[in-house]
Amino acid sequence: MSLAFRPVTELAAMVADGGVSARELSDFFLDRIRRFDPSLHAFITVMEAAPPVKGPLTAIPYACKDMIQARGAPTTAGSRVLAAWVPDEDAAVVDRMAAAGAVLLGKNNQHEFAYGATGENPHYGTVPNPYDRSRLAGGSSSGSAAAVAAGLVPAALGTDTGGSVRVPAALCGVVGFKPTLGLISTDGVVPYCWTLDHVGTLTRTVGDAVLVLAVLTGDPVPARRPVAGLRIGLPRRFFFERADTEITNAVRRVLAVLEGAGARVVEVDLPAMDHARTVSLTVQLPEALSYHSRYLDTHRDLYGADILAGLASGQFILAEHYVRAKRFIHHYRTETDKIFDAVDVIVTPSTPVTAPETGATEVAGEAVGNAVTRYSSFFNMTGHPALTVPCGLHPNGLPMGVQIIGRHFDEATVLSLGVAIEADPRCAVPPPPDFAD
Amino acid sequence: MKPVDKPTLARVADTLAAHNWDESQLDELVAPGLGVITGFQDLLDDLERLRRVDLGATPPAGPVRAPKSGG
Repeated sequence: MSLAFRPVTELAAMVADGGVSARELSDFFLDRIRRFDPSLHAFITVMEAAPPVKGPLTAIPYACKDMIQARGAPTTAGSRVLAAWVPDEDAAVVDRMAAAGAVLLGKNNQHEFAYGATGENPHYGTVPNPYDRSRLAGGSSSGSAAAVAAGLVPAALGTDTGGSVRVPAALCGVVGFKPTLGLISTDGVVPYCWTLDHVGTLTRTVGDAVLVLAVLTGDPVPARRPVAGLRIGLPRRFFFERADTEITNAVRRVLAVLEGAGARVVEVDLPAMDHARTVSLTVQLPEALSYHSRYLDTHRDLYGADILAGLASGQFILAEHYVRAKRFIHHYRTETDKIFDAVDVIVTPSTPVTAPETGATEVAGEAVGNAVTRYSSFFNMTGHPALTVPCGLHPNGLPMGVQIIGRHFDEATVLSLGVAIEADPRCAVPPPPDFAD
Repeated sequence: MKPVDKPTLARVADTLAAHNWDESQLDELVAPGLGVITGFQDLLDDLERLRRVDLGATPPAGPVRAPKSGG
């Protein structure tokens, strides 16, 4: 298999036994970025490879969403507002990756300031889906997901406020992981919404997510939990409604495989979701406005139309609405915690649809951004760890994803189930043909 | 609750301590066309429904805390 689509675990082993040098590895991926990125727009900045230190990720190339600052590299957050900003400090996560030996090759394109899940960007180009260039990669970590899917880097870091790691990962056929709220430092990350922002990982395999998570937290790689005996919660309502039948069938197929391995599926009732989108936006928009207030008077003409409208919405949300929304978040969190008294994980589709067409404003009867984050944003509010793993290709040729949610700080169980799911050959998603060597 | 209109939003922005919003930004709030998120009127309608839910003494959410270790 080409180096381009090998997981981090294999590349690390090749580096360790001398099968490939650090220089060869970074040159290989930089060459792919040069060849493929002009039409993919997954990178805003491409960087020189620095010599790596020794660690668990020695010489492993990676990229990070442009919300995440890196010393000496422009950090635009996908906006012209910050186009001239070159930070003199690394974000905490970039520090950790460097200390583990990883090599940062560039900063990924994204939805401007992470405002939106489509990945459309008027300044740096819209990232197309590597499986169908007429479709969206999803967002807001669009470039990070597309870069991993297209074999331009084996791993990337993103941010997730309502699904911005998991949604593009699911739409692009890679693994996306949002750990427990607060587990990974957001120091040095441009904020979108302090209450809901998480840093997450985008990788080719769940094993790679485990490895990168251990680096980011500084904790040891957790022991794998057996599937036999696990209690899997299957939401009775909401998560299988409005979803593409092929996607729900794929998720039910996954559940059958897990039951065959000794897991027990239990129906569960999550809190009513009818207002979850509103609760999330009511916190997001004023917090985003509060951060951007410093730029609105001086740089307003540099913002794209969609984020500016969102910031304007934040202006007209009342303080009582904001506080009430945060009280609902507390309610969602405690009610979801109670479910985990009865089950070890919850499984849902990652998205109700496959990658929407670029330029579409509605899909499945709602705004595109609402539709693709329909099953993900709730778990930013509850703060539970949530993983998306590919579960095969839709007949339309686009990837589908299954989402696994676990108890706070029980990343080990979530990732263990993810490993079991990706071992099923029917869940495999081949690399996108346009990006083969 | 009356539907939100542009003159009302403009008056609020003019009267309260707020940023100045252009016509196009207020237009998007009244008649959304970008498709990124819910329209502002839908958001307000839903907030009105949420206002009627009694949350008792539920506090606002804080950070997620790690479980206390045993022993």
